[in-house]
Amino acid sequence: MSTSFYVGALELTTGAVLVCAVMTLWRRQVRTIVTMLRLQGVALASVAGVLAWHERDLGLAITAALVLAVKGALVPWLLRRVIRLDPRSRETAPLINVPASLVSAAFLIVVSYVVSSKLTALAPSAASRLVPVGVATVLVGYFMLVTRRRSVSQIVGLLLVDNGIGLVTFLLTAGVPLIVELGSTLDVLLVVVVLQVLVVNAGARHGSFDLDQMRELHD
Amino acid sequence: MVLFLAGLGCCVLGLVAAMVLSIERRVVVASLSGSLGCLLTFVAASHVLISGRAASFHSSLLLPLNGVSLTLDPLGALFVAMTSFVGIATLVYYVGYAKSELRSRTALSLLLLFLMSLLSVPAASSVVTLMFSWEFMALSSMLLIMVEQRRHVEARSAAQWYGAMTQLGAASILLGLLLLSLKSGQTFGDIRAHASAMSPTLRSFAFVLTLIGFASKAGAVPFHVWLPKAHPEAPSHVSALMSSAMVAMGVYGIVRVGDDLLAGGTLWWWVVVVALGVVSALFGALHAVTSVDLKRLLAYSTIDILGLVLIGVGCSGALAATGHPGDAHLALIGALLLVVSHASFKGCLFLGAGAVERATGSRSLDQLGGLIRRIPITTALFGVGALSIVAVPAFSGFTSEWLLLQGLLHGFVDKSSPTLIVLLVGVVALALTGGLTAVTFVKAIGIGFLGQARSTGAASAHEVPRAMQFGMGILCIPCVALGVAPGLVIPLVSRAADVGSASVVSRSVENGIGLTLDHVRGAIEPMLLLAGFLMIVALISGVKSLLRRPARKVEAWRGGGDRPTARMQYTATSYAEPLQRVFADVLRPEIDVEVTHAVESHYYEQSLSYESRVDDAVERLAYQPVIRTFTRVGLAARRLQNGSVHRYLAFGFVALLIVLVVLA
Repeated sequence: MSTSFYVGALELTTGAVLVCAVMTLWRRQVRTIVTMLRLQGVALASVAGVLAWHERDLGLAITAALVLAVKGALVPWLLRRVIRLDPRSRETAPLINVPASLVSAAFLIVVSYVVSSKLTALAPSAASRLVPVGVATVLVGYFMLVTRRRSVSQIVGLLLVDNGIGLVTFLLTAGVPLIVELGSTLDVLLVVVVLQVLVVNAGARHGSFDLDQMRELHD
Repeated sequence: MVLFLAGLGCCVLGLVAAMVLSIERRVVVASLSGSLGCLLTFVAASHVLISGRAASFHSSLLLPLNGVSLTLDPLGALFVAMTSFVGIATLVYYVGYAKSELRSRTALSLLLLFLMSLLSVPAASSVVTLMFSWEFMALSSMLLIMVEQRRHVEARSAAQWYGAMTQLGAASILLGLLLLSLKSGQTFGDIRAHASAMSPTLRSFAFVLTLIGFASKAGAVPFHVWLPKAHPEAPSHVSALMSSAMVAMGVYGIVRVGDDLLAGGTLWWWVVVVALGVVSALFGALHAVTSVDLKRLLAYSTIDILGLVLIGVGCSGALAATGHPGDAHLALIGALLLVVSHASFKGCLFLGAGAVERATGSRSLDQLGGLIRRIPITTALFGVGALSIVAVPAFSGFTSEWLLLQGLLHGFVDKSSPTLIVLLVGVVALALTGGLTAVTFVKAIGIGFLGQARSTGAASAHEVPRAMQFGMGILCIPCVALGVAPGLVIPLVSRAADVGSASVVSRSVENGIGLTLDHVRGAIEPMLLLAGFLMIVALISGVKSLLRRPARKVEAWRGGGDRPTARMQYTATSYAEPLQRVFADVLRPEIDVEVTHAVESHYYEQSLSYESRVDDAVERLAYQPVIRTFTRVGLAARRLQNGSVHRYLAFGFVALLIVLVVLA
């Protein structure tokens, strides 16, 4: 694989991760958002795959396969089940409307470029130049956590944060040891399963599971 | 040292007994076991004081990281001996005093825990051990104040004040000690060895920090606000322990850090200590004079006496810093002896106040009166304490204040002007508070115990159980012994005062039953004084009986009244009124006079009520504004918290962004 092809492929896949993140802010349909999440998982797996190809690293390749299996298939499938079980969570019901969210996302991307310039300067390489994209994904995910009302979008926000962290890890270190990656992936899976159970149970008990209504638990 | 540890072990056994045994047995068994423990620690401490050899113990098993280090040197042993003595008396008293909540597992085990921590504070010889015992002391005493909170609602707020103040103080002490142990290790030996190498600024900073903490424990104005709240509200045996032993730990801390660990220091440190002492002595004495509540009166008089002690400690430090170790030693002996005798008489007085409250159901002097006929033994024991505190010769207060005064007066000779001013102010404060204390206790005895009963409770008072009288009696022993035969005890105290630079002069006090000061040519022989006094009394009564004429009974002049009633007597309020008027600028009393007129004529009044309250001016002017500000900020901060998860997430998000931008 030539260097220019490697760089191009890396930039394309990394960019896809961020685009998917921004798309989740844009679309209102929760089903679409889950699709975006699946695409992002695939993109993340391809980033790992490209890096594995370039480094000729078997461990990284296995990681890529693992990411593809969990974040590209298993997690979206679980989320779809949640949506099917809780019909009220079709719409995202944002606290900040979509255009404002997109503008904020642009602002966050700029911030992440400013912020991670120092990080990039430490070891300039094709991969580490793309670190700001990962940071931006984290920030967008966090933004989603803050501004979206439905519990499913909250889960999606959390997963975006996790994907962003994963992306930064891949780009900076060319993959952590397999066992660590395995652990963190399983963690995410567990979180999703727990949230699913919680959402379904709370939905059955209270009729809905909006974080806004959680305020009643306060004092 | 083995004895000391065995004593603590006995206390632990008592603790276990307190938790395990049934309610009938636990009070007696735990008290016995605790007293035995105190007796053992007393013997251990006395042995150290007599032999002058320090004993130490280190174990890394008891506490993680640095372990426990205990050292009984003469200075610590003096405080251990004092605490264990008061502890024995208190536990004996407690057997008779304990009722309802006071007999609970919590109350009993906390009492023993408090006693153990009091014993281990002066024995601690590393920063960790000291702070560990210190915190235990603070927490257990705070909970002990709350034991009766169901019946005394004020106890809750008192405990809150006390908790806040003691924690702030402890934080200050911890900071100071950490500064000291920054370069060296955390044991006192290491700190002592490295202290001279520290920069003067750091030393001063550390001293001031520890001084704030210890002074707040010693009830020095303006850090005293907790004391007049906590002491009256606590059960009486706890007040006695707090006032006589715990408050003394503040003095111990100042002497330990200032004189011992930092070996003297500079003049201005001690000027600050004297200033604190002078302000507290006068403030405490003035408030004690105007207090109507018996226990509140005793609490303020604690502030007063501890102020005198601080004057002594400060003057001793100032004299040592200007190169007069002999006089410094003398002043320190005076101060330490005053601490010891304060422990005995104030313990006795607080226990007595508890007995009065138990017997009459009230502790307001305006509700008492005529107790000398109803409860003569308690009155006599309270009287011994009162005679001792007003420094009547042949009682312990006299000896200690005489020594203190000797130290201050002999420091006068050709001294640099700052020291002279310090000493002069100290002597004047000593004299003025001495007078005010006398007025205070004339009031307490005269209004509370003499005259006629002012309430049905006082009229139907019954003598308290034997155990309570016995407990007070134990504390009367040192009150008299220190006054009559000071020569037996002073050498021990003088050994305890051999710290820091003062140890240059090994002996400034002569042995014997009386007291002779070597280099300043002062001496008292309380035995002779007492004998002379008794002879004069015998002489007068003899002459009187010789010249006696048959008594003639006549009608007393009644000033228009039919029979003298209890309401015609002076009350505590009216007795203190002239002084309150003189010092109105300092005390700022609030006076309510309410007149109800007769319906028929406006010129005749039906009833008239006079009420005066003396609030703590320091609390009102210095503490309340701070509390109000904090409350306002707290209420404002509450608006941030509305329970919305989104808002909390947003806080986290914004914080993350800010951190990222700042770091970039």
